[in-house]
Amino acid sequence: MEKLKLNNTPVRTARNFAINNIELPVEIPNKIKNFESVEITNSKSNIDNEVSNKELTYGIGKILEELVFKNANNKIRIQTTKQKEDIKIIYNFDENNLNLINQIEILAENDANIIIIYKSKTSKQCFHTGIIRTIAKENVQLNVTIVNLLNEETNNFEAIENTLYQNSNVKYTIIDIGGKTSVSNYYSNIIGNNANNVLKTIYLGKDKQIKDLNYIAELRGEKSNIDIDVQGDLNDEAKKNFKGTIDFKRGCKKSKGNENESCMLLSNRAKSIALPMLLCTEEDVEGNHSTSSGKVDEKQLFYIMARGISYKEAVKLIVKSKFNKIIETVQDSELKEEILKEIDERLN
Amino acid sequence: MKTQVEDINRNIYDIKNKDDYEIKIQGLNREIVEEISRLKNEPDWMLEIRLKALKMYEELALPTWGPDLSELNMDDIATYVKPKSKLNSSWEDVPEDIKNTFDKLGIPEAEKKSLAGVGAQYDSEVVYHSMKEDLIKQGVIYTDMESAVRDYPEIVKKHFMKCVPISDHKFVALHAAVWSGGSFVYVPKGVKLDFPLQSYFRLNSPESGQFEHTLIIVDEGASLHFIEGCSAPKYNKVNLHAGCVELYVKDNAYLRYSTIENWSKNMMNLNTKKAIVGKNAQMDWVTGSFGSKVSMLYPMSILNGQGAKTEYTGITFAGGGQNLDTGFKVIHNAPNTSSVINSKSISKDGGACTYRSLVRINENAKNSRCSVSCESLMLDDKSRSDTIPVNDIKTDEVEFSHEAKIGKISDKTIFYLMSRGLSEEDAKAMIVRGFAYPISKELPVEYAVEMNNLINLELEGAIG
Repeated sequence: MEKLKLNNTPVRTARNFAINNIELPVEIPNKIKNFESVEITNSKSNIDNEVSNKELTYGIGKILEELVFKNANNKIRIQTTKQKEDIKIIYNFDENNLNLINQIEILAENDANIIIIYKSKTSKQCFHTGIIRTIAKENVQLNVTIVNLLNEETNNFEAIENTLYQNSNVKYTIIDIGGKTSVSNYYSNIIGNNANNVLKTIYLGKDKQIKDLNYIAELRGEKSNIDIDVQGDLNDEAKKNFKGTIDFKRGCKKSKGNENESCMLLSNRAKSIALPMLLCTEEDVEGNHSTSSGKVDEKQLFYIMARGISYKEAVKLIVKSKFNKIIETVQDSELKEEILKEIDERLN
Repeated sequence: MKTQVEDINRNIYDIKNKDDYEIKIQGLNREIVEEISRLKNEPDWMLEIRLKALKMYEELALPTWGPDLSELNMDDIATYVKPKSKLNSSWEDVPEDIKNTFDKLGIPEAEKKSLAGVGAQYDSEVVYHSMKEDLIKQGVIYTDMESAVRDYPEIVKKHFMKCVPISDHKFVALHAAVWSGGSFVYVPKGVKLDFPLQSYFRLNSPESGQFEHTLIIVDEGASLHFIEGCSAPKYNKVNLHAGCVELYVKDNAYLRYSTIENWSKNMMNLNTKKAIVGKNAQMDWVTGSFGSKVSMLYPMSILNGQGAKTEYTGITFAGGGQNLDTGFKVIHNAPNTSSVINSKSISKDGGACTYRSLVRINENAKNSRCSVSCESLMLDDKSRSDTIPVNDIKTDEVEFSHEAKIGKISDKTIFYLMSRGLSEEDAKAMIVRGFAYPISKELPVEYAVEMNNLINLELEGAIG
């Protein structure tokens, strides 16, 4: 098993801060056969497998990137049509489809809602690494929801690269609750003036789960905006690294960037590291970040328990209420229910 | 709308005296380290530390993060300079040119205002020390490090390079190998000093390094405010400052350590400062970083005792050609500990400011609290301002919050002030002063003219 250094931050800091990257043993599957268990729901878009192998600006790591470019066993390219549409892609991991190396490319020339779900229908160990690229052309409204419901034996590595042109509005919602180890890299290249990017994430860690989130937004266009909101909960011996970078590039005048990460610790063995970075070479901008960590609010807990609800249920309620403002933005009601059910089970 | 704040008037800091020295040693190898130790007539145990550190220096790599240090060539740096002066107990005995420099920097004036003790380090040797008699009566020891090694070997041996281990990083190892000068302070149990002790460092020799060591022990229930100031005249060659500050704040003790750094803009300021804080003790840092070409400076508090507290208040001002990478580190190692971090930075004329920090709350630090606030002000679009904070939380019984803001002077605020009759320039100057006020009010400006110059000249500098 190879030990890889993954998810490098765009700017390094001291090595003993243990945050520049994550070192993990990664077992890359030898035999890669086609991943057959994939459902695509859409009405109008043009779909093929002519995805780009252009090098990622950041990504999780070169070894995994090369693996995807050379050995992807599922490739989906979507070019949206002139009418607004909803597209759903579901990857069902099962006994015959244990390893997924995928590429998804979405060229949004018009408004679209895209949902990508990774689910396990097996308790066996699975492997997923993939690259998602989205390009939002001028004036497009694009909503992308990625849901990780993989089993607790599975390693999940996903790199996302997002490009925004003028007046585009891209909302990403990432529900990262599954997997044994889940490493994600999100890079947003906000080129266009007045482009707006909102990224909302929920993570949930239990047992010995590891979450490594590396979010990078570069603002180049004037009056552009990035808003990152990350809400998480760690139980047992789970560990989370959150690295969030907002980089105001010279020329992005009147741009704004906000970043908030909040981690609720439900165990005294859980570990949370956060590195919220603001990089700035433009004077005329506004950047804010905030992070917080702590246990469940005792006053809230007391209030709920005073109404006859057990400690466990009260904690669940508090966690779910915190997540709910993000889950509410998921536009598929069936999926919303599925996510809530999954959170409920994982909090047991 | 553009904002301009003038550079600090460096005239008094850029005074160059004739590079007149008794001994000057260039480069770094075993023979040089042995020679420094021999010239200081040191005990063997200190030479052993030096040689061990030299080996460590050779093994350790340069940091792979932070500002570019490639201009630094150790072969060109003088590792030891001894000016033509011996340690004096009377100001009158200090050589005239050295005295003139310190006069211009305000040291004697500060002393006239009944400063208890002033230790001035000129190049590598401490040239002047004085202490009020009542301090001596109370058992306070304030002396130069060389004398401390000779006169208080047991205390020094127990504490020297123990708070900051020589393996910490390459420049700590370098420091331990060639250290020279610096201050030693011991405040006995229960002694509370109600006036600050002050030390001043100044580099005069071109291409020289300043490797002063400051060791302060504030014993149980005692209290001290220590002030250090640093400056150097401008030469074309790169200078190096790799000092080390080790602070021990014992149970129920209090230490405030204030620093004004105004090194000239050819200085690489790679200083290391660390404090170990005992039960119910408090360590406060007040830091103003204005000078140097490159700074990598992150004071650190290790809260080892239950109920220990620390507060960091810092301001960094980077002008053209400066890359000031500063911040703070705190380790919560015991229950009920708390820390408050408040950092401000201003960058202008192409200067780069980085706030870099570490907050680590360990498993055993139950019921600990930490609050971090950092604000950065950009005064033009040629400059750079980065915030790189790491927050490492290993327990649930904790309250931790971190906030950071970056931006320019608000047009609305300028408009508001102008509508009250202020000119645009005055309005901007007032905003910049207001931005720095929470920090500048903590700086001990009343104790030294130099510090007054730094804060006031800079922030009241013509804006327009």
